[in-house]
Amino acid sequence: MPPVSRGGAVGGPSSSPRSPPTSRPLRPGRYVPVSAAAAFLVGSTTLFFCFTCPWLAEHVSVAVPMYNGAVFLFVLANFCMATFMDPGVFPRADEDEDKEDDFRAPLYKTVEIRSIQVRMKWCSTCRFYRPPRCSHCSVCDNCVEEFDHHCPWVNNCIGRRNYRYFFLFLLSLTVHIMGVFGFGLLFVLHHTQHLDRLHAAVTMAVMCVAGLFFIPVAGLTGFHIVLVARGRTTNEQVTGKFRGGVNPFTNGCWRNVSHVLCSSQAPRYLGRQRRAPTALVRPPFLRPPLSEAQLAAKVLDNGIQGDLHLSKSSLEAESQSADADPPPPPKPELRYPALSRGQVSMGSTEESSLLNKAPPTPTMYKYRPAYSSPGKSRSGLAHSYSSKMNQGDGLKEVPSLLRSSQQSGYRSEPSLDGRDDDAADHSERERKAGGPGAAGGQAGGISGYSLGGHSYPSFSEPAVLSGGASRSSGVRSAHVAHNASGPLPPESMASASYKSLANQTPRNGSLSYDSLLTPSEGPDLGRAAPELSPGRRRPHPHAHPHTHPHPHPQARHAPLLGYSSPFLSAQIAQQREPELHQASSAPLSSPHKAYLRTGSPPPLPPPDPCRPPRFSRPALLSDSHPYAYRARSLGSQDPPRSPVSPAPAPRPPPLGKSLSYSSAAAAEMQFRLVRKASAGAGIQAPKDEVPVKSYGRANGQPGGARPPSPHRSASSPSSPSHPASPGQADRSSPSSHGPTPRQGGRVKKVTGVGGTTYEISV
Amino acid sequence: VRPSLQDLRQQASIAAKVFVQRDYTTGTICQFQTKFPSELETRIDKQQFEETIRTLNNLYAEAEKLGGRSYLEGCLACVTAYTIFLCMETHYEKVLKKIAKYIQEQNDKIYAPRGLLLTDPIERGLRVVEITIFEDQSNGRIEGR
Repeated sequence: MPPVSRGGAVGGPSSSPRSPPTSRPLRPGRYVPVSAAAAFLVGSTTLFFCFTCPWLAEHVSVAVPMYNGAVFLFVLANFCMATFMDPGVFPRADEDEDKEDDFRAPLYKTVEIRSIQVRMKWCSTCRFYRPPRCSHCSVCDNCVEEFDHHCPWVNNCIGRRNYRYFFLFLLSLTVHIMGVFGFGLLFVLHHTQHLDRLHAAVTMAVMCVAGLFFIPVAGLTGFHIVLVARGRTTNEQVTGKFRGGVNPFTNGCWRNVSHVLCSSQAPRYLGRQRRAPTALVRPPFLRPPLSEAQLAAKVLDNGIQGDLHLSKSSLEAESQSADADPPPPPKPELRYPALSRGQVSMGSTEESSLLNKAPPTPTMYKYRPAYSSPGKSRSGLAHSYSSKMNQGDGLKEVPSLLRSSQQSGYRSEPSLDGRDDDAADHSERERKAGGPGAAGGQAGGISGYSLGGHSYPSFSEPAVLSGGASRSSGVRSAHVAHNASGPLPPESMASASYKSLANQTPRNGSLSYDSLLTPSEGPDLGRAAPELSPGRRRPHPHAHPHTHPHPHPQARHAPLLGYSSPFLSAQIAQQREPELHQASSAPLSSPHKAYLRTGSPPPLPPPDPCRPPRFSRPALLSDSHPYAYRARSLGSQDPPRSPVSPAPAPRPPPLGKSLSYSSAAAAEMQFRLVRKASAGAGIQAPKDEVPVKSYGRANGQPGGARPPSPHRSASSPSSPSHPASPGQADRSSPSSHGPTPRQGGRVKKVTGVGGTTYEISV
Repeated sequence: VRPSLQDLRQQASIAAKVFVQRDYTTGTICQFQTKFPSELETRIDKQQFEETIRTLNNLYAEAEKLGGRSYLEGCLACVTAYTIFLCMETHYEKVLKKIAKYIQEQNDKIYAPRGLLLTDPIERGLRVVEITIFEDQSNGRIEGR
């Protein structure tokens, strides 16, 4: 397997490894700004009171020092409250709560707030989906409710509970500075003859300090006045969440102001006295009369799509369902029913009821290709990436192919698309050292609001991201659907972002939608998985090699089929099997074997098999989508493989299983993507790529080893339902993207990111 | 009041946990979803559950209400440089106490006899209402939680 060069800009801002929450290293640097602020405030005011006020009390009025004293007291009180008050830190979630959101769960959950889609991101540190407006502060290593920013001048986060004090501190400080400066000026104007005296000199010095601080403080005060009036937090403002969109959290100027100033003090979540349950629970228990609705499908309320996954049983059901994914060659439109059936058969009644919910958008089963909405190429990438990831570490996690509907994303934040989005989307957390961690979040892009330069905007959380990776709690692919979600309907794919990948975010935007369309980045994906982990995040070495070889075989066939129907993809997968068997290169075979090995056992030894989506790989794949897929296969194939004949003998097998699954999944995904995205071929091609991959992986993982659809020979791709004719698959793909594939010939040349060139024989 | 050791030993073991998530449709005010979780179908009436959640929602709405009470509290706090918080309990805390009492009462009367237990959402940061489902066996195993 040709080594993949890390040409791509793996830049993710990998911040320094996060220290575990329990033991935070003492960082004296954190206290410098707050100490300086306190010193200036108290020192200057004291000097003012000592040197200026006596004269003022005598010659102007005694009320002057009293007024200044009161204002100063107010400033101090608010400063102390802002500094010492808990901003609204969420306690870490218990393990029990997290179980359902484990590997399989998507990185984002979408919720509808006043008809606006808002995304809730999975916090790998705190182990829950962050409530709206909540953000994780990397400095404090906590999720804070209604996170505004981390203020270095008070060395504390500003959140729901202490925003009021912070705001009042700013207001009162502005008033105080104006007062000190004004009265100091009055003093100086009356002592122009005695400016060399101590009192005048001190007053002038105090005036200088006051004048110097007035400009930034007043500016900040004005900024926050505007924020309060608009009902936004600093974080939302600087990340441009509502730029051009609607803020779902505003209630009008007056209500916003009164909420900040007059609402009752929000309660503390930490440090509360936990009451032991006093109720004694002892069987026998009362039971309600049996209702026929036990298995009735439940309609999701409140647009919250994700709570299916919140119940343990549902999660297990899902994992089991992954195994039961429909066998070949399901037509794309039949996939849903097939999957549902499969699921039901696998799950318990509880599970089936959950599974039978007919979600308005296909989100529920992230790893289920059928549910992924084709609309997003990105999600496709995610899937493929996840499949890639799965391969790598051999975990059975099914890529959350269908992160689906959740991913409709945050409509009110169209601008997030850019760096922030990439950062957020691409963040992947590694749960286990399984997938290549995408390099950590880049959140760097979002610098967030910082007074002293230390604040970390909630959205970037590089520390969190990289920390998550280092934790290797699991791999969750990043959600990349954000950009795509805007224009596309909600169900467009929830890109397979998994919580486990949350901390890995390829910085170079390979996961972004843009990368799909940019040929040069295509191959990045191919390399992405392996690259990302090492380059961008704290890659997990073992995951790395795994991902490499695996994608290749798949990718290689991909060009043959192009972006055709899932069947083709499946076929590709099938074809891969022989290749795999034939693969002589050690690296190739071993990873495959590893992959297959893991894939085969059905199940589900708990967490691994059930957690396909954890791998960040899918996300990566989905991003660079066709390219990535292709590049990977190309690269790997270069050397040792003999081109696989398009007519594959369907091979059962354990080897091929995962591959075929992924290809089938990818095919499915691709189909959906194509269906949704009526847009040009350029987009289509990539999409096709992705689905093939992710699907294949997903199937393989759970141990089902049945190659999903791949029993057709590549030469006769038959995805009838697929709009893009399979026949064109051969030619479409890589060339559509970009790098310079040589068409028509038996050898295709694809240029990967960073200039690596792959040649594949068609 | 912690149950005695004997009580604990006789407590049923936990079978599963259900998490009722927040309902954000009307914003960030504290409301929980009234959707009946499927896991509870065999354990409790839907109406009963929904009523519990609705009452909780109303209580939380009362806690967060912007009214004269909270305004007065804010003014008083400002005037006293927030030292009033040392002696006085805020409105929200008062309602939280009410909620805790309500939950305990619900547990004692309705949920525990059915092998369920509600956990005060404040312990989870007001993010979820955790409902613990106990196994319906008459064994005397110690609670594993």
